[in-house]
Amino acid sequence: MSGHHISTDKILLSVAGALFVLTILTVAVHYLALPHPWSIIVAMTVAVMKASLVALFFMNLYWDARFNSMLFIASILFLALLVGLSMLDTLFRIDPTPGF
Amino acid sequence: MATAEASSGSTKKLQVRRYKPEERAEKNYLNAEKGIWSWLTTLDHKRIGLLYLAGISLFFAVGGILALLVRMELWTPGPTLGFLTADGYNQLFTLHGAIMIFLFLVPSVPAVLGNFVMPIQIGAKDVAFPRLNLMSWYLYMAGALGTIYVIIAGGIDTGWTFYTPYSSSTGGAVTAMTFGVFIIGFSSILTGVNFITTIHKMRAPGLTWGKLPLFCWGLYATSIIQILATPVLAITLLLVGMERILGIGIFDPALGGDPVLYQHFFWFYSHPAVYIMIVPGFGIVSEVVSTFSKKTVFGYWAIALSSLAIAFIGFLVWGHHMFTSGQASLASTVFSFLTFLVGIPTGIKMFNWLATMHKGSIALKTPLLYVLGFFFLFLIGGLTGIVLATIALDIHLHDTYYVVAHFHFVMVGGMVMALLAGLHYWWPKMFGKMYNETLAKIAAGLILLGFNVTFLPQFVMGAQGMPRRYYNYLEQFTYYHQVSTVGAFILGAGFLLVLGYLVHSLFRGKKAGANPWGSRAMEWQIASPAPPHNFEHTPVVIHGPYDYHRPMEDFQLGLIQSENGHSEHQGAEIASDTDEVKAEE
Amino acid sequence: MANHSSATHVQHHFVDSEQQFDSAKMGMWIFLVTEVLFFGGLFAAYIIYRAWYPELFTLASEELNTLWGGVNTIVLIGSSLTVAMAIKSAQLNQIRNISINLGITIALACVFMVIKYFEYTHKFHLGIFPGEFYTYEGINHPKANIFFSLYYLMTGLHGIHVLVGIGLMIWLLIKASKGAFNSEYYTPVEITGLYWHLVDIIWIFLFPLFYLID
Repeated sequence: MSGHHISTDKILLSVAGALFVLTILTVAVHYLALPHPWSIIVAMTVAVMKASLVALFFMNLYWDARFNSMLFIASILFLALLVGLSMLDTLFRIDPTPGF
Repeated sequence: MATAEASSGSTKKLQVRRYKPEERAEKNYLNAEKGIWSWLTTLDHKRIGLLYLAGISLFFAVGGILALLVRMELWTPGPTLGFLTADGYNQLFTLHGAIMIFLFLVPSVPAVLGNFVMPIQIGAKDVAFPRLNLMSWYLYMAGALGTIYVIIAGGIDTGWTFYTPYSSSTGGAVTAMTFGVFIIGFSSILTGVNFITTIHKMRAPGLTWGKLPLFCWGLYATSIIQILATPVLAITLLLVGMERILGIGIFDPALGGDPVLYQHFFWFYSHPAVYIMIVPGFGIVSEVVSTFSKKTVFGYWAIALSSLAIAFIGFLVWGHHMFTSGQASLASTVFSFLTFLVGIPTGIKMFNWLATMHKGSIALKTPLLYVLGFFFLFLIGGLTGIVLATIALDIHLHDTYYVVAHFHFVMVGGMVMALLAGLHYWWPKMFGKMYNETLAKIAAGLILLGFNVTFLPQFVMGAQGMPRRYYNYLEQFTYYHQVSTVGAFILGAGFLLVLGYLVHSLFRGKKAGANPWGSRAMEWQIASPAPPHNFEHTPVVIHGPYDYHRPMEDFQLGLIQSENGHSEHQGAEIASDTDEVKAEE
Repeated sequence: MANHSSATHVQHHFVDSEQQFDSAKMGMWIFLVTEVLFFGGLFAAYIIYRAWYPELFTLASEELNTLWGGVNTIVLIGSSLTVAMAIKSAQLNQIRNISINLGITIALACVFMVIKYFEYTHKFHLGIFPGEFYTYEGINHPKANIFFSLYYLMTGLHGIHVLVGIGLMIWLLIKASKGAFNSEYYTPVEITGLYWHLVDIIWIFLFPLFYLID
């Protein structure tokens, strides 16, 4: 198993370029003021794409041992569990926070 | 020697020979370097394990004394101890809980026995990151010092669970305590990082996942929980600190926050934390049961994978601590159902262990005695957990002594029994000495008797409505409390006896050989006490660690050293997926 | 792959350089998992409060300057690029370039912190402080302090991680300028790079969640 993949300048610069473009895109979309819930869906989709580019090509997960990718995905899945199961409570209460 | 076809996994040819261990190593890890500085700067996982042993023993004693004070106060329904006010009592149980959980139970097996045994069991010379290992210990001691400071600086009375808004607004040293626990959390995380990497990367040639000792599987599952859950505790405690210092208001209803949210975050860690505490104990049980039945573990993969299943399902059930908190009933229902599921993998283990013992050649030595106690007590603890998982029952039993009895059965009756089993099992390897078997059996009897006398009455009074964390109580519970207090002192006497003969054995114990129990596991194929670098050769594994049909020589193989100390690579075929190997010597 | 374990950088408990490098990387990824869960708790709080009070988030977000947030995003992405370049320089034995790339990364990270400093002081000027010190009257919602508490907590914790990263990279820069890293051994650069990329990823999510709410 080679952990020593050497990226070319081309790959690194292309990924950086894509990240810049996506950033500009997401800011531009913000000014379009899309109706809810599309604004958050588009924003998060773009964010996930950017994060994936960084993880795959800057952090080298594309060429690295599969276990490291699994670690990263596992962390996100467990975070989703924390949020999801908590929201089974918070979204279904009669009164969100105790009145004061 | 039997042969098998090599499967599609990678095969290498290795030339091996037998490396018979010395019975006793003149130069071992204990005397390799002298002086206290060599201990405080050691990078040897075995010495670090002993450093942790000193720490957790000390804090177990402190937590135990606090428990005895609590039980003494509860001797009478009204105030009993002249110097103890109700606030003082609150501080006692808070510190008892926090110290026992964070300074004793969470680190105990992984940091002491895991550190000591695991690298040897996988044929490595040390863990992957020895310096991080030492740092883990320093972080543990720093957090422990923080706790001492807290005791001196006015104490905390919030309960070990630090529920908001009380914890975010009360006086006392809450912020210091949360900071101390934050530091200890880092210790736990670094141990997890170390163990996962070590088990993945540093196994001896031939040691496939299917031959990994079950103790290591348990530590692996525990480490996964540690790295996923502990950070959430860290951020939760940080938020409580921020709430106190900046008035952030995320958990405080007066500032617009939600106190139940705190409970979600807290229990997201603290429920998996109980599995951090017990799963290594399960690993010890597997080792002890196999060795003292001289039989291979029944259902190896069932036990290995059930540890992973417990680790996973354990993350899905935290809301069962919150049935009465105002949580939405949808959430409560889902959590209750998922909690029932988590009992299944544990049940699978129990049956497999019993099947292991069936028709085995049983040696009723002290480690096995503690394991038998474990079976009985953990069974009760686990089943009462299922009772508490039932929402309708929990409404009545929540915050009563039923809960207190339940968690003491699983934590003390389960985990501490397993720890004592492991300590007695690996004691000869750690110190090269045997303890007095008769005294050990007497102590085990005292502990098991004392434990039951202390905690069985608590189930009854809990079901009758005795609330937990109460300084005074109704007359009708007096008898139960008094029985419980008597039991606590018997239990304490048992622990003192254990301390006594173990310390005595260090100075006057009979010298132990390499393998006093006749086990096939790798740690018993080296001298006692362990040599400084565990192995001078590279061990090679061709069988699983519980194969009592094979001769001992099969478990003492290693790569042949060439002149310059490097190992040669020719000779035997090792298949990575099958259990059997063709070896040419 | 018979790397001699007599090479000076290989520690005694490792068989060879490869095992040591792969172990270091795995260890760092496991640590990054803990960072995801650590920040994740705050993201969870954010999601839960935003689900409860969506209009608060829309209103309060207008106090944040989208342009400067966007600039900071570009700056951080740039720093990820340059740290990846630093690793490549090490792999290709371009010793001087390691220091140059690390230096640019540090500079960009400092730019990030400077912009953050101005953002924060601008808010303090308006009375937008965290927690109970919040005094700003300009937002028409009784729980406005919660949004800003989350803002300060999350960007503040992120900022602390940036500072730690700057510190680590200065240390790396010093070692690199003394020739400690080359194609045989550049593990500290690799694993610090991984840490830095995660800091970048966290900002990639913080930016839309705080600055791009419609």
